[in-house]
Parts: sequence; C-alpha cells; structure tokens
Amino acid sequence: MSTMKTTRDVKGVGVSIPRPDGPEKVTGRVQYVADIQPKGLLHAKLLRSPHAHAKIVSIDTSAAKALPGVRAVLTAKDIPHLKKKAPTRAHAVLAIDRAVFMGQPVAAVAADELAIAEEALDLIQVEYQVLPAAIDPLKAMQPGAPPVADAGTEADTSEALAHSAVAIAKSEAPAKAVNISQQARLQRGDPAKGFAESDHVLEKTYRVPMVHQGYLEPHAVLAEWDRNGLLTIWASTQGSFNTRSEVADVLGIPENQIRVIPVECGGGFGGKIRALCEPITAVLAQVTKRPVRYVMTRREELQAGMPAPQVIIKLKTGVKRDGTLMAIDAETVIDSGAFSGAVLAVSAVFLGSMYKWPSFDIRGFEVLTHKPSVAAYRAPVAPQTIFALESHMEQIARDLGLDAVEFRRRHLIKPGDPMVNGQPWQSNGAHEVLSRIAEHPHWKTRKQWVAAGQNGKRRGVGLALGGWLGGLQPTGATVRLNPDGSLAVLTGQVDIAGTNISLAQIAASAYGVDTDLVRITTGDTDTAPVTGLSAGSKTIYTVGAAVLQAAEDARRQTFEIAAAELEASVHDLELVDGKVTVRGMPDKGITLATIGKKGNLYMSKTPPVLGKANPAFSQQAPGFAAQLARLDVDPDTGEVTIHDFVIVQDVGKAINPLGVEGQMQGGAVQSLGIALTEALMFDDSGRLTNPSLLDYRKLTAADLPNLETIIVEVPSPAGPFGARGVGEPPIVPAPAAIANAVHDAVGARITELPLSPERIALAVANGDK
Amino acid sequence: MRRFDLVLPNTVEDCLKILAERGAQAKLVAGGTDLLPQMKNGVLKPAVVVDLSGIARVRQVDNGNGLRIGAAVTARELEVSPALRGAYAAIAESAALVGSLQVRNLATVGGNLCNAAPSADMAPPLVALEALAVIAGPKGERRVPMADFFTGVRQTVLAPNELLVELIVPPPGPRSGGQYLRHTPRRELDIAVVGVASQLTMTDGRCTTARIALASVAPTPVRATAAERALEGQAVTPEAIERAATLAIEAARPINDQRGSIEFRKHLVRVLTRRTLTTALARASA
Amino acid sequence: MPKQLLSCTINDQPVEVLVQPYTTLLDALREDVGLTGPKEGCGTGDCGACTVHVDGRVVASCLMLAMQVRGRKVRTIEGLAAADTTLHPLQDAFVRQGVPQCGFCIPGVLMAAAALLEQTPRPSEEEIRYGIAGNLCRCTGYTKMVAAISEAAETLAAKGSAR
Repeated sequence: MSTMKTTRDVKGVGVSIPRPDGPEKVTGRVQYVADIQPKGLLHAKLLRSPHAHAKIVSIDTSAAKALPGVRAVLTAKDIPHLKKKAPTRAHAVLAIDRAVFMGQPVAAVAADELAIAEEALDLIQVEYQVLPAAIDPLKAMQPGAPPVADAGTEADTSEALAHSAVAIAKSEAPAKAVNISQQARLQRGDPAKGFAESDHVLEKTYRVPMVHQGYLEPHAVLAEWDRNGLLTIWASTQGSFNTRSEVADVLGIPENQIRVIPVECGGGFGGKIRALCEPITAVLAQVTKRPVRYVMTRREELQAGMPAPQVIIKLKTGVKRDGTLMAIDAETVIDSGAFSGAVLAVSAVFLGSMYKWPSFDIRGFEVLTHKPSVAAYRAPVAPQTIFALESHMEQIARDLGLDAVEFRRRHLIKPGDPMVNGQPWQSNGAHEVLSRIAEHPHWKTRKQWVAAGQNGKRRGVGLALGGWLGGLQPTGATVRLNPDGSLAVLTGQVDIAGTNISLAQIAASAYGVDTDLVRITTGDTDTAPVTGLSAGSKTIYTVGAAVLQAAEDARRQTFEIAAAELEASVHDLELVDGKVTVRGMPDKGITLATIGKKGNLYMSKTPPVLGKANPAFSQQAPGFAAQLARLDVDPDTGEVTIHDFVIVQDVGKAINPLGVEGQMQGGAVQSLGIALTEALMFDDSGRLTNPSLLDYRKLTAADLPNLETIIVEVPSPAGPFGARGVGEPPIVPAPAAIANAVHDAVGARITELPLSPERIALAVANGDK
Repeated sequence: MRRFDLVLPNTVEDCLKILAERGAQAKLVAGGTDLLPQMKNGVLKPAVVVDLSGIARVRQVDNGNGLRIGAAVTARELEVSPALRGAYAAIAESAALVGSLQVRNLATVGGNLCNAAPSADMAPPLVALEALAVIAGPKGERRVPMADFFTGVRQTVLAPNELLVELIVPPPGPRSGGQYLRHTPRRELDIAVVGVASQLTMTDGRCTTARIALASVAPTPVRATAAERALEGQAVTPEAIERAATLAIEAARPINDQRGSIEFRKHLVRVLTRRTLTTALARASA
Repeated sequence: MPKQLLSCTINDQPVEVLVQPYTTLLDALREDVGLTGPKEGCGTGDCGACTVHVDGRVVASCLMLAMQVRGRKVRTIEGLAAADTTLHPLQDAFVRQGVPQCGFCIPGVLMAAAALLEQTPRPSEEEIRYGIAGNLCRCTGYTKMVAAISEAAETLAAKGSAR
C-alpha cells in the first residue's frame, strides 16, 4: 500500500478548513432521525422489565390492544422467527422467557401518538417471577452465582476468544465458574522471583464504574417496508453496514432486502456501533404496514443503553529502590452486563507492555451480570486501564523519590519493543508526547504554582500518558471526475468526527486540486462501497487510505487520457490549476473539465474517470496522548476546580488541524467526566439509581477551563500522509492525570472513580494517604 | 407524557373553582420544571392540569409594605430583583442556584415550595427569614409559617382545593444578614447534596436572632434549633460559629442515596453552616 | 380530547395552530409548526438542547406546555439570523472556528449565547461559560464555543447592536 509523503501544492492536507456542514448545523437545518416526519408515521414505545432478573410468567396485552389509536402490541410470542436463545443483545429483541437486566424490552407498542403509546404500556399486564440477580461482578464470577447467559449460547462457554487485533492466549476456566464469558492470561518470566527481589512492592485495587457515552441525541430509528418486502431503516448509527448485517441476522432476511440509511448522527462514541432498536422497530413497521419511529428517552438510554463496562483492576508491582522494574501482576475484571462485548486484550497490552516489565502475570476476565450489556466507549477499557497503571506508576515514583517523568521515560517502550504477545510495537510517538508535555511551563513551574495556593484551597499538578492501538477494518471508496473538473468522492463512512472534510483534503492533495473542488458523499448500504464502523480511530487511517488510493487511481486515469490527447508520455505531465500540461510547455495542455466532459459525451471513446480502491489493512498505528492538569481542591467540600488542562497528542499528520483540535478537546472532556463526576450507579437489586441527566453528571462549560492542545506529528508508515487515528487517545489519560494532581494537592491516593467531592472530602477528613 | 385536560384560568377565583370540582385529579403547573419531569417518568398521572401562567396576581414582587413575593415569580426574577438585596440576599442566592438559566426562567418559588423536595433550594432561606405562606381556598385565605408548611417528602399542608398565592417575608431588623450555600458536584444544572441558609440579626454586637435552615438532610427542610440557641444572646465569634456548626449536625437526619452518604452530608452540614454563619455575620455588620 | 388553538408569535410571524393540550412547547414547535431546530436531548430540562427564547428569555421548551406561550413571542434557531440567507455573527463565528461536530447541541447553545450577548454585550470568559452552562455538549469540550462567542461579541459590539 502506498503512502504519500509529500502533498501537492494545493489547498489540501494540513490546512484548517471548517467543516462544510457547519452552516446547516448552525441554522438548525440538519436533519436527525427524530426530525423526519413521514406521512402516516406511528410512534413506538417499549415496555421494559422492572426486574434485573425475572422469569416472564405471562403477558396480557388485550387491554392495550383495545385502546383507540393503538395499532400494534407485540411480545416475543408474536415474533416466531426470533431465536429462542439470544446470542447477542441485538437478538434479544423482546425478552422471550426471562428478563436479564432491568430495562430489557418485554413488549412493544406502535400507536398514532406517543402519549397513546405510553398509556398503552400502562395497560399491559406482565406477571414476573423474580429471580436472584448477579449484580456485583466479583460475586457473579463465583461458582453458584445466578447465571446470566442462556445455556448453550456463545457467551455461556468459558473459552470464548477475546476479539481484538492483538491475539492473546486463552486459558482454562476455573472449575464451575459461571458468568465468565471471556478470559485470558499472559505470562512472561518469573514474577514471583521478581517480587522477591524487589525493594518496593505496591498493591492496589482500582475501580471504574459503568459510564454512559453521553451522546446528546438518544438512539433513534425510523423503519418502513415497501410493497416488495424491501425494508428501509433510517438510523442514528456509527455503521450502516454493520446495522444491516445485524438486522438481517436477527430478522432472518437477506441483506439485499434491507437498506440502511445513516442519518446525521448526534454523537455515538461507540454506543451506536451495534444494532439496538432497529430490529423491533422494523417488526412493528412490518406488522402495521406503516412507517414506525422509535426514539429512546434519556431515561431509557441510561437504564438500557449499551454503556462502557465496569472495570476492576488489582495491580501489584515490584520495583527496586533505584526504580528498576522487576515484576507486575494484574487481574482485570470487566463487568459487561448481560451480554458479552468487552475487548479484553486492550487492558493486557497496556498493563504489560506500555512500560518494559521483565516479568508479568496478567489475567483478564469478562464477567456477565444482570445489567444492560456494553458496546464500546471511545477507546474501550483504555481509560480505566491507564487510570490504574498511571496512578500506580506515579505512586511508585513518589514513594521512591524519583522524578515522575524520568521514571516513566526510562521504562517507556520504543517502537520494536515487544508487546505482551511478543509482537513488536509499531512506530509510535509515546516518547515524543511525554517529552513535549514535560517541557510545558505548567509542568516545569509546578512547585511554584502549587506553593501559591490561596484561600484555603490546595493546589496540585498531575500528568499521565496513554493511548490507543488504532483500529483496522477493510473498506472502499470511489473518486469520480465531474464534467466540470471537480471531484466526487463516495464512501459509506458515517461522519461523526468531521472526517468528511479530512477525506476531501486527502483526495484533493492526492489528486491535485484544491479541497474546494472536492465533495464527499456518504452513501447508504445500497449505494456505497462496504464500510466499517466509524469507531476505533480508524476512519482517516483506513477510509483515508482508501480515498487516497482511489484519488491516485483517478489521477492515473486522468493522466492516461491526457497523455493520449496530448500525444505525450504520462511521465512528462503535470497538473496545475485544473489543467494537465506537458512540463515546461504550459500551452500544451488539456483541462480537467475537458477530460471530464469527454468521458460523458454521446459516442465518445473517452472513458469516464472513476478511481476506486478497496483495501484491507494489517498494520496498526498506535496513537499516544499525554495530559496535564493544574487544579485546586477545597479540602472541606472536596470540590475540584481545574485551572488549566493540556493535551499533547501524536496524530501522525494533522490532515485538518481544526478538526484534530476538536477531537482532542472533546475526548479530553469525556475523560474528565469519567475522572470527576460520571457513574451509572446501580443498587444491589440491579436498579439504576440515577437514570436522569440531573444525577448522571456530565460536565458543563462552567466546570471547565480552556483546554490547550499541542499536536505532535510522528508519521505512521502506512497512514495517508502519515496520519494516525485521532478520536480515541484523548479520552485515555485524564482520570490518572486528575488522580495524580489530587494526590499532589491533598496527599490522598484515591483509587476509585469518579473522584467525587465526597470521596476527596472524606479522604482528607480521614487523613487517607 | 400521558394525555390530560388542560385548564387555563385567568384569576385566582377561577382557579379555585376548578380545584373545588376536580382538585383531587388535578395538578397545578406554573414553570413545569418539577411537574413535567415527574409526569414524563410516570410518577404523576393527573387527569387535569391547571396552568397558572395566566393569573397576574401570583406574579408580582413587592417590597412596598413588607416583602411580598407572588407564588409564580420565577427563580430568575428573584435572582435579579432589586427588592431582594440586603437582608433578603439569601433568597436571591438560592434562586440563582436552581438548575440552569433555561430552568430559572421557568421555575417558580411557589413550585419549588409546593413540590416540596427535601432539596428545594428556595425553602431554607424562606424558613430562616420566617416567611409566611399565603394560601387561598374555598373559605378565603390563610397564612402558614414556612417552617410548618412542609409535612413530609413532597408533602405540604396544601389541600387539593387550595392554591399558594404568595409569600410574605417580615423585615428581619436593621442589622440582619444571611446567606444560602449548597454543595453540588457541578457548578450548574445540579441539585443540592446539602443546602444551608443562615440568617443572623445583631444588636450591639450580639446576636438577637439566629436562624439556620438545612436542605437535603431530612424529609423536609429543618431548622438547626440547638445551633440557633447556642448563638442567640452571644457575640458571634469564630469559636461560637464553630460550636454552632457542630450543633447543626444534630438537626440533620440524612439518608444514604446516590447523591451522598450520611457521613458526607453531616460533614457538609458543619462546613456549610460555618461558612454561611461567617458570611451572615459579615453582611449583618456591613 | 379536543385540540386547543394556540395563537402566538414565532420568529416574528403570527402563528395559529391547533395543539393537543398535553403537547409540550418543544413538540408543538417540532411537529405542529415544523420547526425541528430545537431538539430533545433529555426531556427534563437537564441538557439545554431544546433552548428557545420566550419573550426574549431562554427557556427549556421541553418543560413548557405549548399553551403556556399563548399571546407570547417565541424565537427558535430558525429565527436567529436576521434574514433567510445571512448568518448571525454567532452562527458565522461557530462555522469558521470549527465549533459544530455532531451538531445536536448547537441550536440550543446558539440561542443561549444570543441571549447572553443581548444581556451582556462584552462578556468575560467566565460569563460566557456560565451563559452556556445550561447547555451540555458531548463532542467539543466547549473551548472553541467560548472562543467563537467571544469573537461574535466583538463583531456585534463593532456593529453597535446585538442583532
């Protein structure tokens, strides 16, 4: 696969160009699913289980069906082609005989008005037999715990593979363990010997609760069947092709019978990578023969979305007095809710191989509980893992009186060093990013800044390093030359991060025209080349590469046509200002518009220029980020005020710096939310106690300072113009950076997130260290 | 929300007529900031909703002959009202903290009090300033002291055929100052984990009246009477404040919930009582 | 139950529309009047995505009943710019500074920012942050929003008006 190391002299890669959809967004004209108002629209509501684990004894829908304005009331019995045992969350369209989390859909209604649908739900009588629930993951993984998965489904086996791009070893299941849906173990050397020879052994348990991705637009889907049996789905989704496959699988119909149109997505962050509401909405539309729309309420999102898992990491390290690393032992428990879905390997890779441990024993378990199952959330499991690792490394340095940055730098991996599975680390900017943040005046002057604290507030400065390995997924793109010399690029990639403008810039630079002449179209599953998820920090890295190759292909075709017209060799041609000319002879040329028109004329022998590419990828491009916080703590109330926050990130090549900054700042604020205020709080019965945005606290503008961004560019070997994925690294380091700053301020090492005022105030009051 | 009938009275009398007929199945709406979320969650399913936004009488703030606040005056109006300076500042402070500006432009003091959540921000200052609730009913108007207005979580002395029309706040005396503080994890869009209003009236360097009201530490707003008694008749020194702050904890009967633990809430009662008393003293002495 | 007639002014135009009594202002704007700019992010007044102006003041339209704006003036994002084809300085600054990402919060933020600038023509950073503190954004981290609002304030001050 080619990479371009230089850009042509056009307005393309590297320029800060505002997104072209800006004017539509600031005028409120962009349409999201809930804004689409087809004639005859019916509104859907779902009745949800009030119990975390219960047998469904009976459901009586007769009164609901009789309510005027109700067009359909469905239970699982009314959808006979549903699999009896749901292997994935998408297959659990409506609970069949058992509800496995509070909020699981049990019945569905379609009505003329939303208010009538709500009243219909009140009229549905369900008899439940409440069963014991597995809520705490540490208890759920013990023998004898209430079972979560249906016996015989994939999740029930204890040897399920972790799915990730890093292959890691499986391990044997402990006898009679229930609810462990994935596990893995990695070992190197002799950790017991390493611990025995250590001067400093530190053992702590880190806990991060389930959090919600927090996208402002709730899940929304509109479904309609035509008279040929073709299903159209308008969805707020991060992956139209994935949604199509899942819906086809669940409904048992061919993929060609489904068209998924990705509507503008009001935020996803991993929560919309899987089908959720599409299957049931499609069934309601089929039964009623009307378009049906389902929009989740915020309450439903929090109770029954697809959040990030709860993560508990027991970490033990052994180090010599001079800071030499000896051994690390880690056990990661990932609570994925009622269905399997976590990415175990990420945790192992960072715990065991972000720093060079000579020996390690790293164990990971995915545990099922009676809670809503997880999807992904921006760098899944990485913020939680780095919270543990970077808090721990900081504490070791403090205990031994070592400089926090030098201690990290000494042991930080370099490209070529082995990862936990023996594969070498690819090129990355971890060292560059660490050095850059250490040079920042906020770090260099931290002691003076802390000493200047006033009014009883205690100041602290902290930093942390983290990153993301970078995703890979095959994809395709086409680039067409229009009859007026402009370019039309087609991908299927949902634009959730402003990637479209960057793709246009890549096409512009690769082909040789200004970005203004390039328009990107996001096609649906009928019209676009197959595309993966807009997730995993891989859009620019993979779709960008596809667009680059397709643009180069189009350029090649263009030059071949020009060469024939001009009777010259392609090697003697250049493209300047929309005209292909013989080098040194500016009058001997042919415009792109002429070439474009010729390819579209009746009886013409000139083919239309259509560049295409459909690559697959094998080489990941890790992206590292370091973040620093200057904050103060009110020691009496535990309130934290962030004065300054700096994000340093290696992006390989900033295709569009304006867009890159936005990703860095947005990811950092999500990270700060995980650090300070966010948690899905379940009680012992599995009930979510904070199902509203009043109590599920996302940070407001008044809680934050300006976020400073510093872009570092260590080019990736295979990325378009050296670019790396940008979206995920910035969500990773903040919880550790904040924990380290709080420790700096008040001397308490808090190992449970969020670092709420309560945790901090009580730690101070109790003199915790 | 489920379906309901909506009635739009223009006077208090019209409103009372409706409540007389259908009060048992009716809910009153002014700002809707507490009512609508509860209706959307299915906690409340009234068959009738009575909109108060057309009734002029309940929307005035008047400081001509004593302070009178109409029940449907919004939190934002209270936040910026010139009538709420000086000794009444704590009322404006509490109003300024409700939700966000988009909520404060709708939320009313009457709604905040009648919804009677334990965390109601505008209750403690009105309790501390010994306000009176003026309630209109079929037999005319009655007045209830704020401290007696609340009877339980989301429960007040109001009967289904009654309407809160205004609050009367007696002048607290020439050297009086107060403050309302609450603790929240975020700076906006939040709800009190603990709220404290302190009001001190001084004469010749001694405290003649001390009122300390707490939110979110009991089913209703409560007065920290032991702390109050410890201050009255004394010079308000830092030691006296610290003692009162500790005594205030006795009035608190908090629960563990997703917003805070018992331990943290008691801790905050001390901290916020100390801080509001310190500021109240400074304001009373200014 | 019978619909009720709502008469009010929306974006400077007189409007008469039949609404169900239990319709919120947000739903009436979106479904009965066809103005889908204001969004529902939470329905309980906790996110600001539904922010509109009623009589010049920002409100959470998901918490008002539609009939509560009878006889009053409502302004939505669709009525922020002075004419059909131009952008308000706030909208222009947001576009050029790369503020909108997913875009869902943007109509609400712009309405909050517009009200802020009418009230406080030269706001400090802190005043801007508190001015939009009732609007949650999950994509941007707010930094570019604050810079754009600051820039728009300068533009408006130079023009000598808040519209």
